[in-house]
Amino acid sequence: MKIIRELGSFILIAGITTLVGAILVLAVGADAGKAFGAFFSGILGSFYSFTEVLVRATPLILAGLGVAVAFQARFFNIGAEGQLYMGAIAATWAGLYLPSMPLYLHLGVAMMAGFLLGGIWAMIPGFLKSQYKIPEVINTIMFNYIAINIVGILVRTVMANKTSPLPMSPRLADDLHLPFLADPTRLHAGLLVALVCAVLVYLFLYKTTWGFELRAVGNNPRASSCSGISVKKTIVISSLISGGLAGLAGGSEILGVHGRLLEGISPEFGYIAIIVALLGRNHPLGVVLAGVGIAALQIGATTMQRRAGVPASISLIIMGLLVILILGRQYWVKSRST
Amino acid sequence: METGLIGILTALLVASVRMATPLTLAGLGETFSEKSGILNIGLEGIMLSGAFFSFISAYYSQSILLGLIGGCLGGVFISMIHGYLSVRLNVDQTIAGLALNFLALGLTSFFFLMAFGRTTNLPECPVVHRIAIPLLSDIPIIGPAFFNQDPFIYFTFLLVALCYIVLHRTEWGINIQATGEHPKAADAAGISVSGTRYRAALLNGIFGGLGGSYLTLAMLGFFMENITSGKGYIALVVVILGRRHPVGVLMAAILVGAAEALQFRMQTMGFGIPSQVFNMFPYVITVLVLLFSIGKNRTPAALGEPYLRNNR
Repeated sequence: MKIIRELGSFILIAGITTLVGAILVLAVGADAGKAFGAFFSGILGSFYSFTEVLVRATPLILAGLGVAVAFQARFFNIGAEGQLYMGAIAATWAGLYLPSMPLYLHLGVAMMAGFLLGGIWAMIPGFLKSQYKIPEVINTIMFNYIAINIVGILVRTVMANKTSPLPMSPRLADDLHLPFLADPTRLHAGLLVALVCAVLVYLFLYKTTWGFELRAVGNNPRASSCSGISVKKTIVISSLISGGLAGLAGGSEILGVHGRLLEGISPEFGYIAIIVALLGRNHPLGVVLAGVGIAALQIGATTMQRRAGVPASISLIIMGLLVILILGRQYWVKSRST
Repeated sequence: METGLIGILTALLVASVRMATPLTLAGLGETFSEKSGILNIGLEGIMLSGAFFSFISAYYSQSILLGLIGGCLGGVFISMIHGYLSVRLNVDQTIAGLALNFLALGLTSFFFLMAFGRTTNLPECPVVHRIAIPLLSDIPIIGPAFFNQDPFIYFTFLLVALCYIVLHRTEWGINIQATGEHPKAADAAGISVSGTRYRAALLNGIFGGLGGSYLTLAMLGFFMENITSGKGYIALVVVILGRRHPVGVLMAAILVGAAEALQFRMQTMGFGIPSQVFNMFPYVITVLVLLFSIGKNRTPAALGEPYLRNNR
């Protein structure tokens, strides 16, 4: 009975969101057939469009994995956006200023730099929470804004491109780029990094003692503490890994897409990653699926705007509605089954 | 030189107070909400929705009053969804707030584009005008900032006083604080926890909606996509800096407003310092304030915790 209700609730949620989407499309007076055609052809219309979905999904999966790890330890990391930007700073810095070395080593070092700085950026609020009980929600939001402003300062001062009036860093060397997976599309090896990370996070969370302790702390900190797990240490470690993964997302955007540090490289990836983690139920496989799903929704909506005149902000409405319905569903299923 | 300096100071203070007003309004609402135990990250969405609906109603009716009512309703719409999700469904308040920010951004952008299309000349709505208070507005420096402003600002000062009285001098205010500190005890004492939290959410919607309306009906006179651009998050900052006290919220908002005004002034004067240095200011201060409040627990004990009545 429970499974039927669970399944039913998901079908209901899918139905409601589709219905709302349809109503919105009709409300702007667009041709519904044309709009939905544009939506799906934007996602699956050609090999190229599908690779665009995957390019968009890459940072969402990486940052989403990070959020999921933190949420499993009940560390509410709202700071993936800032951690992503810090990762982008570190990767650009490593790419621009480190002495020359073999290409793959350089790429690896730059990505690791992204992981480290992103991780450290998350570890500060993690430490403050575990040591001094400073609530992490507000703190991580503050760290987002601080990080974004640091990017703004850097691209105008020490990392500025002297030859351009625009606020951005110099371009990385042409070959310093994550390998393309399917020329001539923009699909780059960041996707592979994301998938490998998903596997690693799965192994870490479900097959190692540390991962077990992390989930235990998330489920019941008091019981964990009583059974000898160091809750403080676990929270700090979870924040480090969480921020590190978001930092990798930043590094992958720099080394795979932009090739230089810019303001606004993340159209709220870090916040959308929270939705991705929620939809993926904080499970690595779920995060991968949800990341691709949300990316598809956004790419499809953009195509729908271009071809059928439906504002792309429809994807934000759908995302918000989806989260609210899923939050509500947990209550609905629970209260009916007990 | 003397008058020049005074002129600059006066202009800065006037700008600070204007910038502080939407933050104060939204901050007061969030103060009620947080005191009652609900942390609403969706303040950005509340303000955005308030700004949009105030613009729409003022634009079509050409009436500021209807614009204000529209703004309040727009804010209440978002805050009551959050209230329902947190009080009735006991969901994670942070994620609910975040989702509402996305929803509000999506809805307002979508309907604005639907109603007006992509235009370069933005449609305008009526705005409130300044009313100088005789005599008081002639006081140098302070006069123009506090006594030669629009009625919105006078109302905000009044509201600060009113909120202080309600929160600290009435039984209902004490009930709100009890609900946020120890919901179980409040419940045992016969206070309706959910009722109190719903009412706090309602106030949060009204005040936040007014804060959003200030942007359209007083500051700008038009609406555009994402017009709040993070003001709701800065209002959250103001609540913490002001230690969830109405007067503190006003002070913090003026401080943040001054940083913002100073930054505009520096930009026009062409100093070599990137404006981001000033933008960052309130956030860094907030982190420091959180740091220095270690040990002195000032957050409501049950902030962000759902209250499950039958859980023992």
